[in-house]
Amino acid sequence: MWWKILLFLAMSAMIIASYITPMPQQQIGESSRIFYYHIPQAWICVLAFAMSMIYSIVYLKKHDISFDDRAADAARLGLVFCLLATSTGSLFAKITWGSYWNWDPRQTSVFILLLIYGAYFALRGAIPDQQRRAALSAVYSIFAFVTVPFLVFVLPRMIPSLHPADSVVDSDMKFTMGPMVRVIFFSSLALFTVLYLWMLNLSNRVSRQVRAREDLEF
Amino acid sequence: MDGIYVAMAVTLVVWIGLFLYLVRLDGKVKKLEEKNR
Repeated sequence: MWWKILLFLAMSAMIIASYITPMPQQQIGESSRIFYYHIPQAWICVLAFAMSMIYSIVYLKKHDISFDDRAADAARLGLVFCLLATSTGSLFAKITWGSYWNWDPRQTSVFILLLIYGAYFALRGAIPDQQRRAALSAVYSIFAFVTVPFLVFVLPRMIPSLHPADSVVDSDMKFTMGPMVRVIFFSSLALFTVLYLWMLNLSNRVSRQVRAREDLEF
Repeated sequence: MDGIYVAMAVTLVVWIGLFLYLVRLDGKVKKLEEKNR
């Protein structure tokens, strides 16, 4: 329980600090504060999809259905964080570029990513047989993750974009943030990661209970 | 400047709401796990 109290206090302190300290990027203005939330959400999205792929590989090796549940739970949370990152990005786009959606390379690539993982759940919903669904979803999840580094890190850098490119590091891989911004940003990254792991753990435990009930019914 | 405080209050309310929901869900799942053990 102690770590939950610590998480609550630390996240609350991070939220307050993100609003009362000087803006991360003076040239962008107050809207640059969204950076403390948008980047951690995008990071969790990549982490969750990576974990979904790892659980899928383990499922294909062990044929243990609990790993299929874990893969689906991780992908579900990844999709939620991807939607959150897209929403906060859209909000930033409206304030900075004047419109919520511009079909900017970054927005287009995240839209494709949402479609890919949306299709993962459509696939899961379309196959009634449990083992077949697990096997096909596992293979799909592995192929889906192959596109993630390309869509998140490569494609947006290949085409000229309005999206700020050097929010964290510049082309020489040096931090572009001041010391205070760096502390708040990395705290936010760590706290969002702990929050995600807690949500994933809860989601896995709920899935286990649902699975146990289904097994009892059959 | 006031807008920043409004945004901070909204973010804190969302965070507190999410935290309480997760704590409640954690408790419910724990009860269910004990019942099914």
